[in-house]
This record gives sequence, C-alpha cells and structure tokens, in this order.
Amino acid sequence: MSLAVSSRRPFASRHRSGLIAFFGRREVLPAVLICPVLLFFIVWDTIPTLWLLGLSFYRFSLTSGRPPIFSGLYNYTSILNDAETWFDLSRTFIFVLLAVGIETVAGMLLGLLFWRSDRLPGRRVALTLLFAPMVVTPVAAGTFWRLIYDPTFGILDWFIRSLGFAPVRFLSDANVAFSAVLAVDVWMWTPFMVLMALAALASVPKAELEAAEIDRLTWLQRFRLVILYHGKFILMLGILLRTIDAFKTMDLIFDMTYGGPGTATELVAMTLFRRAFEDFNMGSSSALAVILLLISIAFTVTFLYVLYLRERKAALA
Amino acid sequence: MADVRVERLRRQFGSLVAVKDISFVFPEEAVTCLLGPSGCGKTTLLRMIAGLERPDAGTILFGDRNVTALSPRRRDVAMVFQYPVMYRTLSVVENIELPLANDRTIGSAERRQRVEEVLEILELGNFRHLHIDRLDLGNRQKVAVGRAIARRTAVTLFDEPTTNVEVHAKLALIRAFKELRRRVRQTIVYVTHDQTEAMTLADQIALMQEGQIVQCAPPRELYEQPAGEFGGWFLGNPGMNFLTPQPAARDGLQFDGLPFPLFAPNAGPEEIRLGIRPEHVQISRVPVPDSVPARVLRTAIAIGGQRLVTLAVGGSRIKAKVPPPAHPPQDTLEIGAEVFAVCPLERAILFHGGARLAEPPRRLVPRIELE
Repeated sequence: MSLAVSSRRPFASRHRSGLIAFFGRREVLPAVLICPVLLFFIVWDTIPTLWLLGLSFYRFSLTSGRPPIFSGLYNYTSILNDAETWFDLSRTFIFVLLAVGIETVAGMLLGLLFWRSDRLPGRRVALTLLFAPMVVTPVAAGTFWRLIYDPTFGILDWFIRSLGFAPVRFLSDANVAFSAVLAVDVWMWTPFMVLMALAALASVPKAELEAAEIDRLTWLQRFRLVILYHGKFILMLGILLRTIDAFKTMDLIFDMTYGGPGTATELVAMTLFRRAFEDFNMGSSSALAVILLLISIAFTVTFLYVLYLRERKAALA
Repeated sequence: MADVRVERLRRQFGSLVAVKDISFVFPEEAVTCLLGPSGCGKTTLLRMIAGLERPDAGTILFGDRNVTALSPRRRDVAMVFQYPVMYRTLSVVENIELPLANDRTIGSAERRQRVEEVLEILELGNFRHLHIDRLDLGNRQKVAVGRAIARRTAVTLFDEPTTNVEVHAKLALIRAFKELRRRVRQTIVYVTHDQTEAMTLADQIALMQEGQIVQCAPPRELYEQPAGEFGGWFLGNPGMNFLTPQPAARDGLQFDGLPFPLFAPNAGPEEIRLGIRPEHVQISRVPVPDSVPARVLRTAIAIGGQRLVTLAVGGSRIKAKVPPPAHPPQDTLEIGAEVFAVCPLERAILFHGGARLAEPPRRLVPRIELE
C-alpha cells in the first residue's frame, strides 16, 4: 500500500514561510527592528517636545485655574526683554565656559598622565578613585560638599582656620559661592573628561607617535599634529556632551545654594525650575525651555562645524 | 654617516626569543636588506636599532658611539614605516620640512635646498603644496621616504615600506629609491620579506631565520651560493629542489636526478642533500648526455611566460623552470608526457645537516667525453 503524498504544503508551514520571506526582505527587517526605539522616542521625546513648543505660545498658569490662552510670541518677547534672564544666561555661559574649560584641560593632563602607564604601580586604584566622583549622584555630591564647605564644622574651613587664615563662608559669600559650586562641578566631571581623553589617546596610532619621536618633533608638535589630529573627534564629543550637560546644571545648585546668595549662583536651569515649579507659570517656562533647547542645538551644530572645518578646507584645497 | 654595529643583541617577548644574540655590522653608506620570513625577528632588530625597542642584552653602536641606552630622538636615525606615516594637517612640503625645521644646525637655505632635492628625486614637485590627505598611499609613502632622506641622518631605516602600497606605486617607489641611492649615499637598513625587492635594492642581504642572521652576502652570491638549505629554499620562486640520496647505493651517492653516482663527501652520507635551482634543470624530449627519464606531473605558467614544470624522477619530484615554447603549440609539455631531465652538476650544491658543504659535488666515475 502506498501513501499519497500531497505536493501542497500544510497551511501553517506556508504561512510561516510567508512571514519569514516578508521579514527577510531587505527593507522590512531594519524597519521592524527600529520600530520599538522609534516608538519610545516618539512617545517620550517628540510628543513632549511638541507639547512644550505648543504650550510656549500660551499664557498658562497652574495657580490661576484658567485654561491656557493663546498669546503668540508674548512669552518669548517677555523672556528676551527680561534683564534678569539675560543675567542668568550670561552667568550660565560663564559657568559652562569655566567648568568645561577647566575639566577639559585637567582631563587631558590627567589622561596624559595615565596614558601608557600600564606598569605604574597602583594605577587601577588611582583610576578607580579618580572615577568615583563621576558615579556619585549630583544630590549626594551636593550634600557631601555642602558639609565640607560648612563654616562651622566643615573640614575645609577647619583646615583653613588651622593654617591661620580667616574662615571662608564658601556658600554664603556672594563672591565665593560661584567658584565653590564651580569647583564641585569640576570635581565631579573631570573624571569624565579623563575617560574621554584616554579614549582619544588610545585612538592615536602607535606608529605615528614613534615616527614623531624619531623625527624629533617637539612635545607641542606631537600633541598638535599627532595626538590632537587623531583624538579630536572623541575629545570634541566629550566637550560637546559636557557643554550641554553643564548648561543644564540644576541639581547641584538646588542642593548647595538654591541659586543664592542673592542670584550669585542662579543658573538658567534653576530659573526654569523656579518658573515651572515655584511660580507654576507653564507658558513662560515652556518658552524658556524651548530657548534653552535651541541654544543646546546651536552648541552641537557649532561643534560639528568646527570639527569638520579642516576636512572641508582640505577637500577644497 | 656611520656604520651600525650590533653586538650580542638579544630581545625576548615572554618565552619567544625574537632576536638571538646577533652580532653584525651594517656597513657605512651601504644598503643592507634584512630579509627573512614573517616572524624571523627582522623588524624587532630594526626597531632596536631605531631605539623603539629596548634590547634585553647587547650593544648597538653607530660608528664609535654607543647608542644602546639612547632614546630614538638622540640617536640620529630616520625611519620609514610600513604604513605611510604622515602629519595629516600639513602639506607635502611641510611634511618633509618639519623635522629639518626643528634642527637648529640647518639653515633655512640648506633646508629649502634639501627639500627641493628630495621633491625632485621622488617626482613630488607637482604635489608640493597639496594637502597630504589628497595623495594616494604610494605618494604618501614617497613623502615619508623624502622626510627620512632629507634629514641625512647617520642611519636611515626602512621597515617594509612597500607592503601597503599597490603594485604600480610599489614599482615607482623602488625606482625612486634607486634614484635616491644614486644621488645620496647613506647607511641604510631595509627590512623586507620580498626577495625581489631585496635583490633589486640591496648592496648586501642579511638573511634571517628564527632570530639569527644565517648568511650575509651580495644578492647574487646569496642566491647562487646559499650557506644553508634555508637560503636555498627561501630565495627563488620556487626555491631549490632538494634531493636525498638513495639508501641502496653501494658506492658513492646516487640521486634520482643524476644518472651517475657522486663521491660521498667526508661528512658521511647521512643528512646529505643535493640542491639544484628549478631554472637550472633542463627538460628534453629526447635522451641527452647526463639525462634521466622523467614524467611531467604538473605545469603552470610563471611570470614572464616561463613554465614551471613538476617532474616525477624516480621516487623524487623535481621542479623545473623552462623558457616558453618557441613555436607553440608543438612543445607544450602536456601532463603525463615522458621526457628527459638534466640536473647540471656544476649548478648543484651539496648540503650536510642543512649547511652547505665547501666541496662541490663530484662524479664518482669521471665523465668520458666522446669525440
């Protein structure tokens, strides 16, 4: 007795192979794979940003109990005409410039120190200690430093007094508070720049460094022509990330000085926080948030422009 | 300029001894090629001369100056690396000029003159102001060569400079190098694993094997008179044929490629091998004096139209490189063809235990010349 074998495949199998063929198509699979990320991005990023943008054109205060009223560019013009906002912005720019500048220089120097120091005794311990501030949450770091700076029982003040100097009111003296907060930011984020510097240095080809040594290039020439050339992208990426991050500094200020004394440490992110969660002025705070977003985008564009400027010049040469 | 002397130089990486107590002199104003297979220690030796690698033991002298403990920048060396090393933000001229500009003993006029000279020799004049990124790999390596040569250092080192460039650029580089040699005399150590390059460029070749220099001689001598089986095998494409004597021979040594026995040398028959280069083996359709019957196993076309023929001779296989047929297709040496092979004794070398014997191979019974 012989069994008849059907040439038609069972439905399930055909269905399955059809699905495999569908997902196997070159244009389908990448689209399917990217969908979850895209969805997440749209829900948690694009929609809130668009919502923020929309809200920035309305007068809307949570304390008034009234619905939002369309006001056009009113929120923007009032922010741009507000001298206090300009002061906060310029203070923030100074903070960003100083913080990122010091962190970059210190990060590069420390990176160079640790570079190729594989045989240095205690290297791992030193690096772990160096990176510790970066993993501490800003609130914890703020509290930690507030205690160190404390004029009554802070260790730093005790140390200064024991050296015979007059006590310094780090966080309550308007002339010192800005520098004190800046120092904490530098303490926290220099390790990040060390990390970026080490990554940048690791990208430099060994042969080029050896050639520079044989060609008797000066240290500065070696740094400029070899190290910086190869490491610049990673380094610029670090500077860009730090710039955007420093521009948003709020948690540290909130915990250490709350913007004071007076407005000595009032950075623009702190102003935004006050408008939104103290004044509950949602329209005005949204407009300020949009302005800060545009400034951050401008930073990115500027960095990328500078980064590829030389390549463009070379291509035109 | 100075000669370079290394004395009992040794370098070990873990359990691997890369350079084994080498003592050698790289003569002044000569090109010495360090030739050998990958991993034989030639680059390590070069890097120790450059100062990029610290020897575990031994001394390096430039002339009478002991440079063993000196850093590369204090040794007065220039080096061309395997991959073209460029200062990427500079132009061609700036790249060549940079090391000269750092040397306070060189005036600006002399600097310009040296740069112009290498630009002219290397045929880079048209690219002089071009940004280095706009050059291809071959021209970039030329710039690297120019940068090294323009310095006129005591010693100039080349670490396989043609490995990463395409064939035409490689030929152009070799041409430029030869022209440079004609115009500028320098002590040069040139590392390569390309025997053709070594044969073309070197005044003498130091053949390296497993961390040691096994032979040093001018290229032709090295090729024709290898000191050991390694030289015979490594040089030539393909390398030498090595024949072992038949164990059954009662008098003298009997080899598959020879119709007559040879005198057994004083060294004794064990570990004796007869070496003959493929291009010296002749093939004939008809029996000729000193020929032995052979069968064609394989044929292949070699570069230049020569044919590489593998023959079965007795129990041995012999490779022969024969000229292209004069009137194809009459004599195409088809596979399986019965032919006659001649291994000229005057071209053969006897080896014992891997080393060449001083005495040439001789017939046990003298050849009778028939009038």
